[in-house]
Amino acid sequence: MKLELDNLSKHFGELKVLDRVSLTLEDVHALVLIGPSGGGKTTLLRLIAGLEKPDGGGLIINDHPIEFFSEESLREYRKRIGMVFQAYNLFPHLTALQNITLPLVKVHGYNESKALEEALILLERFHLADQAHKKPAMLSGGQKQRIAICRAVAIRPEFLLLDEPTSALDPEYTSEVLDLIGELRDEGMRLILVTHEMGFARQASDYILFVGDGGLIAQGTPIDLFEKQRDERVNRFFNKVLKYN
Amino acid sequence: MNFFTDLEGQNNRPAHVASWSLVALLLAAVFWFGFSRLGYRFAWGTIYDYRMNFLKGYGQTLLISLFALVFSIILGVLFGLGQSSRILPFRYLSRFYVELVRGTPLLVQILIFFYVIANAAGLHNRFVVGVLIMALFSGAYIAEIIRGGVDSVGETQRETAKSLGFSPFQTYLYVIFPQVITRILPSLAGQLASLIKDSSLLSVIAIKEFTMAAREMNANTFSTMEAYIPLAIGYLILTVPISRLTRYLERKFSYET
Repeated sequence: MKLELDNLSKHFGELKVLDRVSLTLEDVHALVLIGPSGGGKTTLLRLIAGLEKPDGGGLIINDHPIEFFSEESLREYRKRIGMVFQAYNLFPHLTALQNITLPLVKVHGYNESKALEEALILLERFHLADQAHKKPAMLSGGQKQRIAICRAVAIRPEFLLLDEPTSALDPEYTSEVLDLIGELRDEGMRLILVTHEMGFARQASDYILFVGDGGLIAQGTPIDLFEKQRDERVNRFFNKVLKYN
Repeated sequence: MNFFTDLEGQNNRPAHVASWSLVALLLAAVFWFGFSRLGYRFAWGTIYDYRMNFLKGYGQTLLISLFALVFSIILGVLFGLGQSSRILPFRYLSRFYVELVRGTPLLVQILIFFYVIANAAGLHNRFVVGVLIMALFSGAYIAEIIRGGVDSVGETQRETAKSLGFSPFQTYLYVIFPQVITRILPSLAGQLASLIKDSSLLSVIAIKEFTMAAREMNANTFSTMEAYIPLAIGYLILTVPISRLTRYLERKFSYET
């Protein structure tokens, strides 16, 4: 996918989370956003998801500018992308299966049986078929997040956005979720991922953005970023997050 | 043997029965003492003469409460959601309605509605007037219950629905309402119990409901206690099961987070 940021700005009151950020990425498959907490990586992802409106500048994806000021066009855009949240955000009143079929039926116009079929294929594939009829309260964190990912990919999105998908998980569940994301990536699913899992970022991404201080502090391929770059702020961050790895 | 404290993880049924009986006995003793000081001579025969009045009134109270509940749920949904409507006149209408009704005594509302509004509108069927008054009154409380229920479905749920491409209307229909309904069922059941009791005030405009039957009998025969004690029991027969139902519903839906 082609991603262009054109002087993109987002402020929260006095705080300039993103300040005139520009960037052009021609053909990226797996883009990873890393950086310090509160540095703006989640805000950037939410802008790309069409969940926040910028205070200035623009965002162009695959040569289509996102029309932030037409709610109708934003909704059409959101229908074409998949979003996975840190806290899973499954609908608590629906079973795992219904969580996947509801958007298929109500938003994408599938009939019930076709939606069920699609959802069951996904659950089967990711070894979640036994959980199909359980409500989220009865599932483990890892299962919830994997079902949330199924819900996001069931609509066959153009690309998948993941906002710290493993940050709320116990360590034992982290790898099952990362395995699933890796599997999707290997199948050619385009994705943009915010994460603190540096090992995974390095292994799974083809481009990394280091977001902080209102902009992009560093960027490049995993090798560029982890081995070659010399920015003091990035080094300090790596020293902290990799201290116990 | 421990008769007075509830210990965790222990099935101490005899102690519960004993305490229950003790409280019941104490209450009975207080009432017995009170009545014996009063030197009241009960003449239970009078209520038998008025039994049809009581039964009809009981039926009226039930009917008024049920009809009023249905209409007040409609009003409650309308004005509960109206309080955050984008259409400003509707938003302020909703807020005025809820504040006015919740902030004034039911008795005043009954008198104003009956003598001013119903009169001006040429509405003379007292049953209909009773239902309308109770629906308007209870609707404001249900509006608050619904607003609270909708607010309790977190922002993240709305945002998730949005990210999946749901329209605002679909979000309410498929995501928010199904969760709100299970959460507010206990409060709605409680509201029905309140409606039943509060409808007793309709007797001031001579609607022939349950309390009116007691007032009539008292006025004609001066058998105050014989009229009002059965009245209290009659209301309890309706409200106690509802309160049990409320507790059951609270337990049943408490697992949802």
